Amino acid sequence: MDVSHILVTNSRQPDRSEKDDSVQLDPGLLAVTDLNTIDEESYNTDLEAHLLSLAQTGVQSLLGSLFSLPTTSSPDGPLAQLPPPIYQLPRAKPLPKPKAKTKWELFAAAKGIQKKTREKRVWDEEKQDWVNRWGRGGKNKEVEDQWITEVPMNADVDHDPRKAARDARKERVAKNDKQHLQNIARSQESSGPSSTREGRKQEINKTVAAARISTASMGKFDKQLEGEKKPRGVKRKFDPAEAPAEQEKQSSLALLSRMESDSKKMRKDPQADEKVLNVRKAVRFASKGKGGVALGRDVSGKKGKARTGRGKR
Amino acid sequence: MLRTIKPKNARVKRALDARLPKEIEDPRTAVFVKGTHTGEVLNGVMKDLMALKRPDAISFNKKNDVHPFDASSTSTASLEFWAGKNDASLFLVGQTTKKRPHGLTFVRMFDCRVLDMIEVGVEKYIPMADFKTPKSTPGHKPLMHFASELFDTHPRFIQLKSMLIDFFNGEEIESICLPGIGHVISISLAPTPASLNTATEFTTDATTVTSLPKVHLRTYTIKFLSSGTRIPRAELVPMGPSLDLVLRRHQPADAILLKEAMKRPKLKKTDVEKGLGKKRKNMEVDAMGDLRGQIHVGKQDLGKLQTRKMKGLKAKAGDDIASDEDGEDDEDGFMPRKKQRQS
Repeated sequence: MDVSHILVTNSRQPDRSEKDDSVQLDPGLLAVTDLNTIDEESYNTDLEAHLLSLAQTGVQSLLGSLFSLPTTSSPDGPLAQLPPPIYQLPRAKPLPKPKAKTKWELFAAAKGIQKKTREKRVWDEEKQDWVNRWGRGGKNKEVEDQWITEVPMNADVDHDPRKAARDARKERVAKNDKQHLQNIARSQESSGPSSTREGRKQEINKTVAAARISTASMGKFDKQLEGEKKPRGVKRKFDPAEAPAEQEKQSSLALLSRMESDSKKMRKDPQADEKVLNVRKAVRFASKGKGGVALGRDVSGKKGKARTGRGKR
Repeated sequence: MLRTIKPKNARVKRALDARLPKEIEDPRTAVFVKGTHTGEVLNGVMKDLMALKRPDAISFNKKNDVHPFDASSTSTASLEFWAGKNDASLFLVGQTTKKRPHGLTFVRMFDCRVLDMIEVGVEKYIPMADFKTPKSTPGHKPLMHFASELFDTHPRFIQLKSMLIDFFNGEEIESICLPGIGHVISISLAPTPASLNTATEFTTDATTVTSLPKVHLRTYTIKFLSSGTRIPRAELVPMGPSLDLVLRRHQPADAILLKEAMKRPKLKKTDVEKGLGKKRKNMEVDAMGDLRGQIHVGKQDLGKLQTRKMKGLKAKAGDDIASDEDGEDDEDGFMPRKKQRQS
């Protein structure tokens, strides 16, 4: 008796594994999709029990795949190493853009110059010690800080060797800062409108024109510089009224193709509710307000069948 | 668009860098927004969904005049502004009207722009508090269970599935602590109506909202029972909330935007072995494609190094020093052999 009971329970389990082809498991996202059709009878008899049993089988199959994954141990318990997800979800942000190369990096790449890491500290022969290349007690301030400096023979009376060295160092720093800013500007420009020389020129002209009428008198009482021209407005241009037929055809076709093209459109296909034909309205109109069922009856057979039972209402 | 902020100190810079696009993304943050009117039901639903979504959830206290499906309003602009401000990419907008009672709108964003939207109506709601059962721990990842063939065939339900997975479980993770699995969110549909089964062009075209089956969202806690095998037997206990939803309006994802959103990072083989864009220290793949590791060992104490054992080096009593070599040879069995080799 017991044996038969065990056999019955065991015979059920292969049924579940047969169902597996209709169960999509995605252990990477901890998700399972049961693609079997919903049993209407059990749905109608007891909804909660039906949903619970569905969830139970689904979860059991997902757990089966999760617990058979390779694990590593951790203080909280075994960690299952998840495979990458199968179901693809849209990203929340676009992919990160690669960092723009500096002018030096471009040059070095073209010339095949390898990047060398520059050590922060250098060996000082006099002190017999490692000193900073820059910064506190830096090697680049050596000339400024030393207590005696050689002055060239042809130097001015007010020649200050410490100031000269300091100015030269400050200049190098300023140059580097300028190059850094130029690199930033270049990386931002590569996509902007003023990437070309012509574009930059136009932008400057626009700024100058705007600045000239930005005073309280709209530029009327401003001091005119020598050789400054009067700001001119935009001159409208019209195509000639009579154009060759070929040219007219080409311009019209270009306009049409621009209207047809999808490149400028935000949304490709209209939404369901935005459709030109309002189906509900059309059916109501065609059936004279009786509805789609009556219309179908009328179309299929006009034998007066549709009229049965109407009069009693 | 938000104005660009130039970081003035390191803390701000770190915070801004954390918001930059990454190859491997963080979990999506959801913002729960109340519309102009939310009834008791919707307040409860949003509170319970927030409990499931925590800690990646932000709740707006005040009511907001947002109508995401109304193209003429500025709702889209508001959503985009909030997305940028809160670094959030999901919204749940609750709004109840006479025409559409108890409406919940799921909005998904991409790059601070609206990607797609789904509106569902709550038909039946049993709050979490009504189930006197243990609840899941906030922050633990739920399992997701979907049941119906429509999740693979019907565009509306494919969108719903994608949205719900993104809402509750979108983050890609490498590993999961197995005892930490504690609850499951189960979404199943009512039986498929006949109009959806016959796959003719007419029926697919005219699927009105009323013919779409109901959606049942249930949450259960999982109890592991021993089954005698490695895989435990799961027992589910209803945890709440349980919702019965109907699909209403929707806005599918714009094709161009979706294509942009579905782009995957091109991971090099070396990067994959290095841990999928995440930094893994002391490991590199060399030019031959071999994984090489770098091991750091502590400084060796050479004082304790075991060198060749010799009696003469042993620190013993003073008599050892006095004894001559011949005497040692006799004692040690190994020494004569070595002497033979030397000769």
